[in-house]
Amino acid sequence: MQDGLYYSREHEWVKLEDKLARVGVTDYAQRKLGDVVYVELPEVGKQVKQATEPKGKEMELGAVESIKAVSAVYSPLSGKVKEVNQALQDRPELVNTSPYGEGWICVLEPSSLDIELKNLMDAGAYAEHLKKLE
Amino acid sequence: MPMGHPYIPNVREIQTQMLREIGAASIDELFADIPSKIRLRRKLKLPNAMSELDVKRHVQTILAKNKPFTQMLSFLGGGVWPHHVPAHVRDLVRRSEFLTSYTPYQPEVSQGMLQSFFEYQSMICELTGMDAANASMYDWATSLGEAALMCARVTDGRKFIVPTLISPERFNTLQNYVSGPSLELVKIGYDRQTGQLDLSQLRKELGQGIAGVYVENPSYLGFLETQVDEIAKAAHEAGALFVVGVNPISLGLLKAPGDYGADIVIGEGQPLGNPMSFGGPLLGIFACRDDAKLVRQMPGRLVGMTTTPDGKTRGYAMVLQTREQHIRRERATSSICSNEALCAVAAAIYLASLGPRGLRELGEACAANANYAMRKLRAIKGLKVPIFNAPHFNEFTLNCDETGMSVAKLNAELLNQSIHGGKPLRDKFPELGETSLMCVTEFHTKEDIDHLVNALAEIVG
Repeated sequence: MQDGLYYSREHEWVKLEDKLARVGVTDYAQRKLGDVVYVELPEVGKQVKQATEPKGKEMELGAVESIKAVSAVYSPLSGKVKEVNQALQDRPELVNTSPYGEGWICVLEPSSLDIELKNLMDAGAYAEHLKKLE
Repeated sequence: MPMGHPYIPNVREIQTQMLREIGAASIDELFADIPSKIRLRRKLKLPNAMSELDVKRHVQTILAKNKPFTQMLSFLGGGVWPHHVPAHVRDLVRRSEFLTSYTPYQPEVSQGMLQSFFEYQSMICELTGMDAANASMYDWATSLGEAALMCARVTDGRKFIVPTLISPERFNTLQNYVSGPSLELVKIGYDRQTGQLDLSQLRKELGQGIAGVYVENPSYLGFLETQVDEIAKAAHEAGALFVVGVNPISLGLLKAPGDYGADIVIGEGQPLGNPMSFGGPLLGIFACRDDAKLVRQMPGRLVGMTTTPDGKTRGYAMVLQTREQHIRRERATSSICSNEALCAVAAAIYLASLGPRGLRELGEACAANANYAMRKLRAIKGLKVPIFNAPHFNEFTLNCDETGMSVAKLNAELLNQSIHGGKPLRDKFPELGETSLMCVTEFHTKEDIDHLVNALAEIVG
């Protein structure tokens, strides 16, 4: 876990960079998945919505696959996909080795950042959330 | 528990004991929830018990009513074709190691099956000119349905283009497959003289949103599509994938679709060592180019080869399983989580035994026999054989409009002489008039063909 990031209940993190938001999956998520063998990246330009229940395709930022499991990456914010991490095409294992660094998934241009940040957790709240899951 | 009978477990003593155990007075009581008005109140009308010998005699009497294909002369094809299945192919696939095993849900324990599938996949790749083949689909028709869906997943296009002269049965299955995701099917016409695809119509249809362009080669009516290079180019320029459907036997002779721009090759594997057996089980061939975007969107099971962690022993594993239903659920690339295992093994043994040279000789024999039959039949007054002026492989059309007889009448007369004529086409292709689809392969001798020709000459003469 890293301070200064925002976390979603679906185990994605958000790092604010000026007016943009970098997104990845958390260390907890990568440990639960095991060895990541493929990352399905979202299309640049895709419009996404912040993940809520019930989940829908419009909330997805691709998927992360291990050998015998796959999980969707749910968007922690609404907005437009600005950039995707092409390095994951050849080195999907970066999600395991560097979930908060080189293993980032994409960069979003958020559309309603101020309101939606309130739905996310800080590091402390996320740590509490994980405790409940264990 | 008492043993009332050596191999019938459910005898009266045991029934009584079981009922006592669960506290029921009778078996009838177990069905108390079923409304009495829909319950059968009498014994089933079954004949009295028979001895094994009596049963055997009884069944033989029934079977004697059949007229097996081997005791007749048949020129039926159109999706399932008569070919010789070598005795060793039959013997090998009937070995219990193959016959009774099924890819279990821990497939890696079945190394023998996986190796067979891997070899099947490798040979299909070599034959089609593709790089990745799956371990098979149900049949050509389902391979086509899956190919259309795969094209849509890869390109995001919503239209799939097919020739008007597509096999009607395959087209029906395709319609089923695309109805859920609502893809639009577009049929392209053909040249009345040659049967070849209408390229100008194709170019008009090709624009935005085309998922794929499909041709069958040899076509359903047996002629070869000679403009495949142009069709591939046009499809690719529009951002669509080019899908080619084949009879694999033809590939011993004809250019592999991979050599003329196909992205996906599908086909029917039944001719590869599998009997016709009333039209099934069949074997769907499915292969594609080595492009991560394509392979990941490919339906079906894929077997890969690897080595053990110490690098010393070769091993086989199911690969890319995350595309499949048991992991990806409703998002899976296809509804198939299985394959035609035994048929694929038969095809692998068949292909391995024939080898490239054998397959070429087989293709030559089919084409030579079919072309001999066409030449002889064409000489009969009133018959037009074939209706399209194009090269043909092992099937061709026979039109009898000028004889004033219908195909039904012609076939009925042939059947009187123990000959199955061609498949009637009028229902599905009324514009072709009284036309049937004839199939001639290595299975037919010169005498067989001459017999057909003489019979037909007499009937129409």
